[in-house]
Amino acid sequence: MEMARRFLILLQRELAAFFLSPMAYFVLAMVMGLNGVAFRFATALMDGRIQPHSLVSLTFNSFWFRMIFFFLFPLLTMRLFAEERKMGTFETLMTAPVRVSEVVLSKYLACLIFYCALWVPGLGNFLLFRMVTGSSTAFPDGALLASALLLLLLGAFNIALGTLASALSRNQIVAAVAGGTLVLMHFFLGFLAGFAKVSASVLERVTYFSSLDHINLFAQGLIDSRPVIYYLSATAFLLILTHQAIEHRRGGI
Amino acid sequence: MVPLSQARAHALPSQRSRMIHVQGLTKTYRGRAVVDGISFEAGRGEIVGFLGPNGAGKSTTMRILSGFLLPTAGKVEIAGHDVVEQSLAARRHVGYMPEDVPLYPEMRVEEYLRYRAGIKGVARDRLTAQVEATMERCGVAQVRRKLIGTLSKGYRQRIGLADALVHDPSILILDEPTNGLDPNQIRSVREIIRSLAGQHTVLLSTHILAEVEAVCERVIILDGGQIRATGDPATLARRLERGSRVTLEARGATEAVLRKIQGVTKITSDALADDWTRFHLDVQGTEDPRETIFRTASREQWTLRHLSMEPATLEEIFAGLTAPQPQ
Repeated sequence: MEMARRFLILLQRELAAFFLSPMAYFVLAMVMGLNGVAFRFATALMDGRIQPHSLVSLTFNSFWFRMIFFFLFPLLTMRLFAEERKMGTFETLMTAPVRVSEVVLSKYLACLIFYCALWVPGLGNFLLFRMVTGSSTAFPDGALLASALLLLLLGAFNIALGTLASALSRNQIVAAVAGGTLVLMHFFLGFLAGFAKVSASVLERVTYFSSLDHINLFAQGLIDSRPVIYYLSATAFLLILTHQAIEHRRGGI
Repeated sequence: MVPLSQARAHALPSQRSRMIHVQGLTKTYRGRAVVDGISFEAGRGEIVGFLGPNGAGKSTTMRILSGFLLPTAGKVEIAGHDVVEQSLAARRHVGYMPEDVPLYPEMRVEEYLRYRAGIKGVARDRLTAQVEATMERCGVAQVRRKLIGTLSKGYRQRIGLADALVHDPSILILDEPTNGLDPNQIRSVREIIRSLAGQHTVLLSTHILAEVEAVCERVIILDGGQIRATGDPATLARRLERGSRVTLEARGATEAVLRKIQGVTKITSDALADDWTRFHLDVQGTEDPRETIFRTASREQWTLRHLSMEPATLEEIFAGLTAPQPQ
């Protein structure tokens, strides 16, 4: 009971830190803008042509959608721990009777909630499209639902990656660059496999981790359980690492 | 100078229960001992001052006591709870104000204190009253709606103090609570701290000698990560008294006459141009010797063009404490 209350207070504070900062609305505006462009390009591709892909597939496989991916996670996660450490408020936070796990989870969850809120307008585009055109042929419902699920999973994983980067540095820029690099490297696994001369068995293993392939799959409305398990377990692992990194620092100075 | 390092006063008023118990506390950082095997205790309601130059290990010790850092070796108990094994229980008893008072600039004063009271486990039905009382006590009630980032250093310091106090802890750990304040603000912060004596055990750090004399019942002098002396401030101040150094420039003055002035222990002189001589006098005791020197000069009909005094600095006191003792 006491633990639950403490966690809710921490979560509330972290959410307030997101929604009360001007940066949040700047990020929201950028994501909406890029989403809009990705969506508009996808509808343009469908305009008067026969397409083997649905509107959902075209949107989420577009260059513009990937752009969102590149800057979003570092921007969202860089301040989580780095800012508190820099300002010294980490000291007041950690000397209150709170567990490290509660702090890590509250920061992580607040970030994930904010991330989900960022996608509401983007997914709204599709519903709006359907309302305006009255056509249900542009995309199947399943494709949209599966894509939404994958967006959540990708967010969960990449935010955990960024959270770890932020816990490792007191400099936000360093945290952003480190987190961003990790996110990009993971995201581009699918591309790298295409460039490098690797055997088919290696390629298959790399594909298992490749977000690009996952997006392709889920955007068709196919929910594969392997990526679901992969993202969830990797997220848990990264959060445990974050916890350990912070515990480890208490032993330092 | 009396060797004080052996004079660790473990004696505590026996009727007071032990709130802080530190035994052989060591913290090493990259092979260097920042805190080197210190032991001390503090009883209920006592105000204890940590005095020492920068880098003496004051902040590190306080960070360990507040649960922010883990000790490398040694045992620390806060209200009977081990800070490593029962960290959460120990932290519940501590109100900690770090150096430079970190706060969230985007939060409002009352909002911040409510948040802090909440995570420190103040019960929901008592929270409003508790925050209200703490704001009154620390004199921040009139700025409750202000954003912390817009407030002055004096207010920020008092908000930090209110934060440390908001869950009514039995132990307060304040790292340089008056650092960077103007004299009026220093006075008001000291008054708040003094008003805590009796119910709260207060451990505060400072590098200002006058501060310990003004607030603390007991002083622990730290240097190089070790305890150099402990005791009540008055005794310690007397033991540490190295007196002052007087500089005078006069024409016609002689060392022989100056030596007769009470408290003068050592005289050095430099001949200056035009028959002027500059004298440096080491004077013992707390009295200002300048009046006597002036009267002597006028009686002896010296021409005086400069007379000044500097009290012994804390650095000199520490140098004295850490220097090898003459037998």
